[in-house]
Amino acid sequence: MPWLARRLLFYVFAIWVALTINFLLPRMMPGDPIAGLLAHLNPSQLAANPGLVQTYQALLGGGDNSIWQDYVTYLGRIVHFDFGLSTSNYPTPVSEVIGRTLPYSIFLVGVAFVLAFVLGTAIGMLAAWRRGGAVDNVMVPTFMALGAFPAFFTALLALYFLGLKAEWFPIQHAYETGLSPGFNWTFLSSAFRHSQLPILVVVATFTGGWVLNMRTVMINTIGEDYVTMAHAKGLPDRRVMTRYAGRNAILPPLNGFAPLFASAVGGLAFVEYIFSYPGAGYTLQQAVLGNDYPLAQALLVVLSLCVIVANLIMDLLNFVLDPRLRTN
Amino acid sequence: MSQLDPISLDPIALDLPVAAPGRGRHRRVRVPGWLVLLLRNPKSCTGLAMVGFVVLIALIAPLISVDHPNDFNILATRQAPSWNHLFGTTDQGSDIFSQVVLGARRSLLLGAAAGALATALAAILGITAGYVGGVFDDIVVFLTNVFLTIPAIPLLIVASGYLKSRGTGTMVLVIALVLWAFEARILRAQALSLKNRDFVLAAKAAGEPTSRIVFGELVPNMISRIAAAFVLVFYIALLTDAGLEFLGLGDQSVTSWGVTMYWAQTNSTVLQGEWWPFFFPGAALAFTVLGLVLVLAGIDEVSNPRLRTERAGRRRLFGRLVGGRAVARPETTS
Repeated sequence: MPWLARRLLFYVFAIWVALTINFLLPRMMPGDPIAGLLAHLNPSQLAANPGLVQTYQALLGGGDNSIWQDYVTYLGRIVHFDFGLSTSNYPTPVSEVIGRTLPYSIFLVGVAFVLAFVLGTAIGMLAAWRRGGAVDNVMVPTFMALGAFPAFFTALLALYFLGLKAEWFPIQHAYETGLSPGFNWTFLSSAFRHSQLPILVVVATFTGGWVLNMRTVMINTIGEDYVTMAHAKGLPDRRVMTRYAGRNAILPPLNGFAPLFASAVGGLAFVEYIFSYPGAGYTLQQAVLGNDYPLAQALLVVLSLCVIVANLIMDLLNFVLDPRLRTN
Repeated sequence: MSQLDPISLDPIALDLPVAAPGRGRHRRVRVPGWLVLLLRNPKSCTGLAMVGFVVLIALIAPLISVDHPNDFNILATRQAPSWNHLFGTTDQGSDIFSQVVLGARRSLLLGAAAGALATALAAILGITAGYVGGVFDDIVVFLTNVFLTIPAIPLLIVASGYLKSRGTGTMVLVIALVLWAFEARILRAQALSLKNRDFVLAAKAAGEPTSRIVFGELVPNMISRIAAAFVLVFYIALLTDAGLEFLGLGDQSVTSWGVTMYWAQTNSTVLQGEWWPFFFPGAALAFTVLGLVLVLAGIDEVSNPRLRTERAGRRRLFGRLVGGRAVARPETTS
């Protein structure tokens, strides 16, 4: 299984490059991030947390150590997921802030992405099958246009028209004020209600990509001999579309997963900001605006890891679905 | 010569040089062939018209806007669109119409600059890697894949957080450095497919240096794909820049669509029922991006005929609707 081994090796390297970029960024940029960071803490807070400055210096630079020593310390901290305290949420550790916010984002992007994939693939398949038909002429341009729309514009439109004017959805926060997160029916149903509009926006934005991918591949597949053969055998139209052409066309679009998913994770920042949805994207934006660099740095690491893990899952799925990958 | 080559039937090869069989007749009219093809395609024609309209607005912007679009005016705050203020006013009383038309300049300039820089990077790295192969190729492919895996927006958010000054030049550089990977992969794949063509082999046999082969032979033959790459990165850069400004992390001192939307969001004007501060800049951005996407779709269709919705296809559908039933489903009788 050299293919799978190669992919795994790639992900290990990708993680390393992501970590290194994250390490180098604050050191390459002009200015002194550590000073901006420490300005948010008063002397008594610093005195209460011995070693905090060293942690920050390992993450951001600015200490007396050489860059190599810093790098080793930095990697060590990452492995233990120790990013110090978040200055904007003092005295909460960075890891705790992330643990609190990340589940919202994973839920949001996970559900929305699966929905966008199913919807987009179905529409792309139908559009290619009846080229120039209703689906091809109406749905494809609609979703392409929605996909080209800036996510934050779509989100603002949805917030204004569907939330504020029509009052179909709650428009702010992840659950009703007064509730506290926990595994009980009141909270979960409230959280579900509040996630609907953000999910709708992400689905609207990312379905177009799948539609286009699927349509292009499907058009090429329809020209294949085995599709003509299936027609000649007199199989029902629907069966030829789904079992013969569609089934074979569904794999190549999956290769477009990586860039689409990465941009969906990026789009989270906008959608969550607009809906004041307390996920990782919103937290990242707030952290950067508030000079809370340890939190921002940790979130970048975590979001990169999420994308890499999602890609890995996709590769494993591909490996199971595509026999060609297993033989070579 | 290479037109008669059977290999040139594959869609990539049909890209540009082959697409000019009728050129002999039009040789006197100096309209470039690619432009004729793009204008004949309904998608890219619409797209070019839309982008052209935005460019026109950007050019005449100072003539149709007020002198100081960001000035406060306490007497005219939060006004809905009217003849006085076509797009309404912000909650500081600034004229949104002026901000939108002047913002077109910023968006187009930044998108074009970042797009050009990222495309140049992608073309140089991607095409050279595809042609040279070996270790250099491995490194470029690896870097491309890594950049496609690391989410670009969070990376840009964090990077611009460290920047103390976020001038236009800095933003162009940062955005281009993050976005180049999008097209490098495609350009490399195409260089790979061209690398063993006769004209490249001939140049190689003639002893031309690699740089000459890349820039003198490969780049001119891939120019339509490079143009498509530019359009793609153009609109992604435009979106990214406006998005960063919207989050409060761009160059907040300029008049631009993103900044107008940032203030609309920061002052929660939407939640108070004011739709115009976010709608007009957002619609301008969406309009521009849509135009660019249509141009891109047109380029794709022109260079890959299989994607085109042919008239013949329509006729077949029409036939199916009218009388093709018996032909289409013989199985219903069994």
